[in-house]
Amino acid sequence: MRLEIDWTRCDGHGLCARLLPERIGLDEHGFPVLADGDVPADLVRPARRAVAMCPVLALRLERTPVPSH
Amino acid sequence: MSTVHDVRPGPAAATWGEARLLAGTAAGRVDLAHHRATHGRPARLDAASTTAALARVALLGRGGAAFPVATKLGAVATGPRTHVLVNGSEGEPASLKDRTLMQLAPHLVLDGALAVAAALDTRQVTVVVQDAAAHHALRAAVAERDDAHDVRLQLRPHGFVAGEVRAVVRAASGGPALPPGRRTLPTVDGVDGRPTFASNAETFAQVALVLCLGPDRFASVGAADEPGTTLVTLVGDVHRPGVVEVPTGLPLAALVGGGPGPVLVGGYHGTWLAGPGSLTLSRPAMRAAGVPLNAGVLARLPHATCALGEVAAVARWLAAESAGQCGPCVFGLPGLAATLDGLLAGQPVLAHARQRAGLLPGRGACAHPDGAARFVATALDALGDEVERHRTHGHCGRPVRGVLPLPLPLPRPTTRPEAAR
Repeated sequence: MRLEIDWTRCDGHGLCARLLPERIGLDEHGFPVLADGDVPADLVRPARRAVAMCPVLALRLERTPVPSH
Repeated sequence: MSTVHDVRPGPAAATWGEARLLAGTAAGRVDLAHHRATHGRPARLDAASTTAALARVALLGRGGAAFPVATKLGAVATGPRTHVLVNGSEGEPASLKDRTLMQLAPHLVLDGALAVAAALDTRQVTVVVQDAAAHHALRAAVAERDDAHDVRLQLRPHGFVAGEVRAVVRAASGGPALPPGRRTLPTVDGVDGRPTFASNAETFAQVALVLCLGPDRFASVGAADEPGTTLVTLVGDVHRPGVVEVPTGLPLAALVGGGPGPVLVGGYHGTWLAGPGSLTLSRPAMRAAGVPLNAGVLARLPHATCALGEVAAVARWLAAESAGQCGPCVFGLPGLAATLDGLLAGQPVLAHARQRAGLLPGRGACAHPDGAARFVATALDALGDEVERHRTHGHCGRPVRGVLPLPLPLPRPTTRPEAAR
């Protein structure tokens, strides 16, 4: 599984970085910076929690994506 | 986003070697009779045969992503609901090749689009352009034909991000000209939510050439890994600035000169190199070398201009071109541009510039922040001496001459030096 952000929705509330600091940091403007790669199995539960808490539904947990055109 | 475009097509486009896309264009727009006399008619093939022909010549998309056209065509469902979308937006201000092609050889682009539509068993063809002269030439060409009544021609406002294919798909569906926030595949979920074969204007003209010449003749010139010809736009201190059709496989040095000095490959989402080196003009080879050709802009700066100032001006413009949707781009690109203005003024902010550029990739709905970061980060490497000269003297003693073309009005340099830190 992999975390994905809909950047057109994200307003930089920063809750995700508080709930999942192992995978998400914040840049100088308060927008999330995701760690590279897939979410390890032991962090999938807290990742789901961070997804559920995003106030603008910008964060998603998805299967590792197929390459796009 | 700026709306005034001052970039005009240069002198009539040139050809090195055999003219194909530009055959017969010496006297300006090729009308239908002249076009048929020059190129004949494209072979009528079904989807499978068209896909096979395009695969045999390894045709790659000419908009920037260089995706294999046969793979894309093979992924689109056939039938009357399917759309064919010609993206003639060419939002890249340094690139003139698509507007030049559409102005001079509009029938070749239409032949390609109509052949793809026929192969896909649909009549839905939309052509989107940002250039008024290209729109005019296409409109005249559509009026000359008896097979183009269903072609929709759309003149859209200018913008770099608005020319991104998924933004064009949205605009052609009646939505905003903005890239969507979620991954979408135009081949499945394109214009009006229907399967859509979308590609760049030159790609469609190349498809027409494959169908007119046949794969063997098409592949008789050019590099083995990407046969045929390609359009490039040469900018700045080059032998002949402007649009040129060349066979693939030429040494880059033959196009931009072999001397030392920074070379920009691939336009304002492209890559700065310390020189052309031994690179050859083929998309697969250049991608393998980590220097994608993108839409085919090759630029070399003359010594008389401030190279760092040219880069900073483009960075400011890239920041202003953000579609305004995504925070990391909305805040990150102006921050990066301000850091470059700091470097220009001699501030010791090189590490900060690299850090800001490093945070941009992968953090937007489209590849605009990725491309802008690449443009700036590779410039910092290729222009290391320039950065050092500015740091020690506060300037390089040369004015910014605006060799890298930008639409007017230009965004102003940051007025707050502290924003660079």
